[in-house]
Amino acid sequence: MGVSRMARRPLIAALALGAAIVGPGGVAYAEGTVRVLNWQGYGTDEPWAMQLFEERTGIEVENDYFTSEQEMLTKLRTSPGIYDVVLVNSSFTGDAAREGLIQPIDPAKITNWDNLTPSFRDNAMLNIDGKVMGVAWLWGVTSFAYNTDKLAARPESIEILWDPAYQGRIGWRDDAVEAVQLAAIATGQDMNNPTNMDAIKEKLRSLKGQIATYWSSEDEWNKLLAGDAFDVSVYWSGSAARSKKAFGLPVEFVIPKEGVIAWLDGLSIATGAPNPDGAHAFIDFMDSADFYVKWDTDVGAPASANNDAMAQLPADAFNRVAFADPTVGERLQFMGPIPDDRRQQYLDLWSEI
Amino acid sequence: MTVGSRLAQVFLALILVFLYLPIVVMTVMAFNRSPLYELPIVWDTIWFTSLVGNDRLLTASGNSLMIAIANTVIATILGTMAALAFARFKFRGRTLLRLLLLPAITIPWLIIGTAMLVLFFWTGIGRGLHAILLGHVALSLPYVIVVVGARLTSFGIVLEEASASLGANPWQTFWRVSFPVMAPGIIAAGLFAFAVSFDQFVISYFLAPPGVSTLPVEIYTAIRKGFTPEVNAISAIIILVSMGMMLLVARLYRFGGER
Amino acid sequence: MSTRRRARLAIASLTGPAYLWLMLTIFVPLGAMLLFSFLTVAPMGGREAEFTLKHYGAYLDKGFYVDLTWSSLRLGIDVTLWCVMLGYPAALALARHVPGRWREAIFLLIVLPFWSNTLVRVFSWTIVLRNGGFLDQLVHFVAPDAPALDILYSYPATVIGLVHSFVPYLILTCYLSLQAIDESLIEAARSLGASSLTTFRRVILPLSLPGLLAGMILIFVPVIGSFMEPRILGGTSGMMLGTVIEDQFTTVFNWPLGAALSYILLAIVLLVMIAAYPLLKRQLAGLEGGVA
Repeated sequence: MGVSRMARRPLIAALALGAAIVGPGGVAYAEGTVRVLNWQGYGTDEPWAMQLFEERTGIEVENDYFTSEQEMLTKLRTSPGIYDVVLVNSSFTGDAAREGLIQPIDPAKITNWDNLTPSFRDNAMLNIDGKVMGVAWLWGVTSFAYNTDKLAARPESIEILWDPAYQGRIGWRDDAVEAVQLAAIATGQDMNNPTNMDAIKEKLRSLKGQIATYWSSEDEWNKLLAGDAFDVSVYWSGSAARSKKAFGLPVEFVIPKEGVIAWLDGLSIATGAPNPDGAHAFIDFMDSADFYVKWDTDVGAPASANNDAMAQLPADAFNRVAFADPTVGERLQFMGPIPDDRRQQYLDLWSEI
Repeated sequence: MTVGSRLAQVFLALILVFLYLPIVVMTVMAFNRSPLYELPIVWDTIWFTSLVGNDRLLTASGNSLMIAIANTVIATILGTMAALAFARFKFRGRTLLRLLLLPAITIPWLIIGTAMLVLFFWTGIGRGLHAILLGHVALSLPYVIVVVGARLTSFGIVLEEASASLGANPWQTFWRVSFPVMAPGIIAAGLFAFAVSFDQFVISYFLAPPGVSTLPVEIYTAIRKGFTPEVNAISAIIILVSMGMMLLVARLYRFGGER
Repeated sequence: MSTRRRARLAIASLTGPAYLWLMLTIFVPLGAMLLFSFLTVAPMGGREAEFTLKHYGAYLDKGFYVDLTWSSLRLGIDVTLWCVMLGYPAALALARHVPGRWREAIFLLIVLPFWSNTLVRVFSWTIVLRNGGFLDQLVHFVAPDAPALDILYSYPATVIGLVHSFVPYLILTCYLSLQAIDESLIEAARSLGASSLTTFRRVILPLSLPGLLAGMILIFVPVIGSFMEPRILGGTSGMMLGTVIEDQFTTVFNWPLGAALSYILLAIVLLVMIAAYPLLKRQLAGLEGGVA
């Protein structure tokens, strides 16, 4: 065996040399891959951002997508040990944590932690049993957007969705919870605790002839609008900004007088994540002003949970202007967690209609 | 030529237009610059160029090809063996075994796919390329058995008996007599198996874990979650290649040649 | 070793691998799914499952699932009928009104799309049917004042996509049985004074019926289990039993309910097959004996 031992020596030397060269970078950063589960087109898959992150850390980002929160949970359930970072809407963070789908995050590894707006960062929906289960990332509102080529005047009321003039010209997202919450707002109820379910059911039933089509992803929304499939459609504030900026579509987002659904999205780390260090680094990057300002300015985004990042936006940015109006603040209803039985009730109601 | 015949030919031509229209339109749109498929067309080949950098689609295409080839080899060998048994032996349970081929052909793939997902996930066989291959072979086997079997029964047992009576051992008889006669059937079956696998979406969809996919699965995910005309570009390439391949085969074999 | 034992060994070793494979991938999974359909939750990730009939009960309780079954059946019937209306005359035209040297080429053209990807073909319809797409532009070129076509994401779009996918099956099976009709039978009918219509009704149609039926079954069964086509082309009208089953597995994580719904679908398929069995017997015999 003497020969082979001799032969091995240069190999070891080469490896040592290689390690010495690669060394500093290799040790300081968690290399490898970070697999992210998110909505399509929602920040983590911006090619320039993935490239920038890889340049900084040597970590490659891979994206996988879901089209509903339910699907996100099911992907985590059926694929443990595959995903590192997952986008969890704060109203689902508790569910995911209780099911053991996500693991606690170490705030010490998030350098932007202190810049996060405290009301979001310390939100009870993200901090469960004293542990950080999700890092506040973005917040925005769900309401509707319209095609400015088709509607001369800006509609100020959510009733436009039920306006007979737009029969068969309304886009909708096939999501029971969102549907019930929008109907609750339209019928003047507390969307987190609606009391008059019959009114909601009636309201949704009268919606049926209005809907032209359902959409399930932002990309689909853009293609539908460009393909003239609807004039007015339920949409998300950040996505509307992207449709306008990145795709040049004639779109305006409306915060109607009746109120809007406000939501807070957090980034979590999946249980059994293959690369937890990389996951922390990626979450930190996503919450950095570097990433957010460029994203919102060039592409369009919802509002950041990072104060510092918000302050660096140009003064005329939608996210600064839209929410600066004090009356808007009163119209926001933040989405709370939904107990299982109530969710089932919503699902049944929606499928009956 | 009668008026009736003319009318019939026009009708047939319209059917051909119906069959080819979407394929042509889709291919043309691969050359349109607008990512939202807006008209009029601005001619450009950017989607073909950017396809080169699209690792997801290319990896998925590679997986599809790899699985289709492995499936062709396995299904053709196993299927030919079974077809030989059916053609050369009369035995109890033969009809039952033949009937057992029907479920794989007649049960909707949705049911077979979800059933495989349930079992594989539950028992720890898991999802992945290996599981997809397991499923594709199962779907291809019945076709191979039927196609090769048809060829075997059509030339009968006489030649083999002659070979045996001339003193050849079974092995020699197989390679020198049976195999050459079976070859066209085996090649047809292999092509069938390849096509079944390369086209298969439903089974692959349920058995593909995150991060692993075949081309149809990748296209479906793209349609549902966001895509660019790169999908058109790869589709156009696939259609041209697969149709070209079939035309070549048809030329070589005079379609259905051994009829 | 006796010849009989040797034969038995040969049979076992020749058929064994293929059938073991089918066992593992078709029959055992179907069994596992049947078991799942009677469980409260999927017994995975430390969940405790108990025996229940509630998923089958839910099907009967909620009119919603029965409605979905009807929409799936209606889709199957509509697609099959359209395939017959388009495919049978096409096969007849090909078999009887196209000169021999063209026949083979056109036959090849009809089956060729078959070998291209199904998913790609469904996708291509979204490009053709969308507003502002090819068909819309064509209509507006002919009639500029026509309203927007609005056909993508509708029930007709699903039917169009499925007919496009499946009509070659029907042309194929009908053409093969039409071609096999002995020309002398038709000539005999003619010489006895039968009109073209009578000849068709009394000779051609009955003789091509097995091919027609085989094609119809080949189309109806997969269509009622389809989910990808309604999902991509159907929009709001795309809710079918198939899409709901898909959702149970990929989105809602209610595998037992998905399994129960799959079994209900399977029962429907079996009923259809049993109903068609007497008519298809001859086809099956053909499959037994081997028809190329």
